[in-house]
Amino acid sequence: MSNANTPPPVPSAGPAPTGPGSPRDVPPLPGQLGIDPATLPEPIRDELLAPDPVAIDTAAEELKDGLNRCPKCGATEIRQRPGTDLLICMFCRNEWHGQRVEEEFGLGEGIDQLKGTVIASGARDIEADASVLMTFKCTGCGAEVTVNTENAMTARCHWCRHVFGVNEQVSNGAVPDAVLPFHIRKDDAVARIRQFVDKRRLFALKEFKEQFTPENVVGVYMPYMIVDANASADVAGHGEIKTREYTRGSDENKKTYYDADVYRVQRHVDFTVDDLPLESSTERSDFNTRVNTNNIINTILPFDTKNAVKWNASYLSGYTSEKRDSDVEQMRPRVEDQLLSIARAQVESSVGRYDRGVRWERERLDLHGTRWVAMYLPVWLYSYHQPGGNGGMLHYIAVNGRTGETMGSVPVQQWKLLATAITVGTFLEGIALWILGHTS
Amino acid sequence: MSDGGGSLGLLALGPASAVGLYWTLYRYYRNTDKSHAFERETTVEAKPVTGAEHDRKVDEVKGTQQKRIEDDNVADYRDRVERMDGDSS
Repeated sequence: MSNANTPPPVPSAGPAPTGPGSPRDVPPLPGQLGIDPATLPEPIRDELLAPDPVAIDTAAEELKDGLNRCPKCGATEIRQRPGTDLLICMFCRNEWHGQRVEEEFGLGEGIDQLKGTVIASGARDIEADASVLMTFKCTGCGAEVTVNTENAMTARCHWCRHVFGVNEQVSNGAVPDAVLPFHIRKDDAVARIRQFVDKRRLFALKEFKEQFTPENVVGVYMPYMIVDANASADVAGHGEIKTREYTRGSDENKKTYYDADVYRVQRHVDFTVDDLPLESSTERSDFNTRVNTNNIINTILPFDTKNAVKWNASYLSGYTSEKRDSDVEQMRPRVEDQLLSIARAQVESSVGRYDRGVRWERERLDLHGTRWVAMYLPVWLYSYHQPGGNGGMLHYIAVNGRTGETMGSVPVQQWKLLATAITVGTFLEGIALWILGHTS
Repeated sequence: MSDGGGSLGLLALGPASAVGLYWTLYRYYRNTDKSHAFERETTVEAKPVTGAEHDRKVDEVKGTQQKRIEDDNVADYRDRVERMDGDSS
């Protein structure tokens, strides 16, 4: 037996592969196969002619050079009009509306006909070597402008003041198919956060209260996958129906007993799900409440994703953004888990006759088809870092940028809360002892 | 109060209320139990549930003190159980 530490022999540097079918060959034009599929047997032909996974192309051809121009005057100084889905040109005050992706790409239709995995072009797999830094050549002056897509999607040319936005659907996952613009204004978000914290002051951490400045809230576009699914589910288990209830024992030691019939129960349901939102950032989809408060941001879902508009980086001007880093296949287990939960919720009403409950023991999901659309959703985020072991804890208070739903994590002054709980417990224990002392 | 169960219950009042109060307030501040209720907040269109016609009585339980079936999970939608064969995933 050879030594395991010996490296494998270096392959001899023979001639690089050449000829048809090798990487040295000039690639054929898209859609060209070299043979007529009509001459092939049907199963092979069907496979060859089947559509590619990218079935919905949401890329905006007119915005590829990074310059979002006003359709009226051609200026690049474009912003979202606060509180609306409108874009406004800061130069000529022209206003226009982004196209809703729901109608443009038919995202609300045909869910019950979905087969296989349909991925919109902005939700494609992220390439490992794709850079987060995007460099544009300014068409106004020729200077190079860099945008760090990790946290921003727009930048200004330092020389000629042109505003650039990342619009090309690059393979680093930064550009989604659609964006849902902020409707809740900053003042409103600040008021909601203040209201939320005002209801939680008594036991809040002293430092948190001292440093509380809701004006520091940040508007963040968070990356999500919006999933439509066509699925069937089967569940099987046992249910019980009470047949008799009776008491035994003397007055002082009465016990209630039950008789029940046990049934083997199984259910099947076909269902479709429209616009299920899922965090498409690995960090944000970790809901371990011992080390983070990402569940807070999860709680303010859902959004009115039907109103999302086609991607245009101008909507992100003045806001920060986070980048998607999960591919469809990585997120599939989470989708299946949530679909099973939905199926279990759907069958609950059909087992109402089992008044002693049902114990589901086995379940199955048949996922017929899914459709994935990448979307940026608006969240107002206030954060407070509580020092502690393992880097402490980052507490979020989040406001849904569309519905205003607010949720948060307020750090607790542990000793105060413990002392209060023990005081109340001792007081009640005192009453209990007094009652016991006077009745025995 | 002469029966032992009752006085034990009364003695446990203090510690139980202390723990209960602590957790209630802790959750109210930290909201660690909250998440997106996708089961009811997502648009779901389901065809009528089938399978009720196959329900069969298989056993009887006599004289149990449990109010519910053991490991009742009819409302714990997110409690995953064993996957059946032929699962597409």
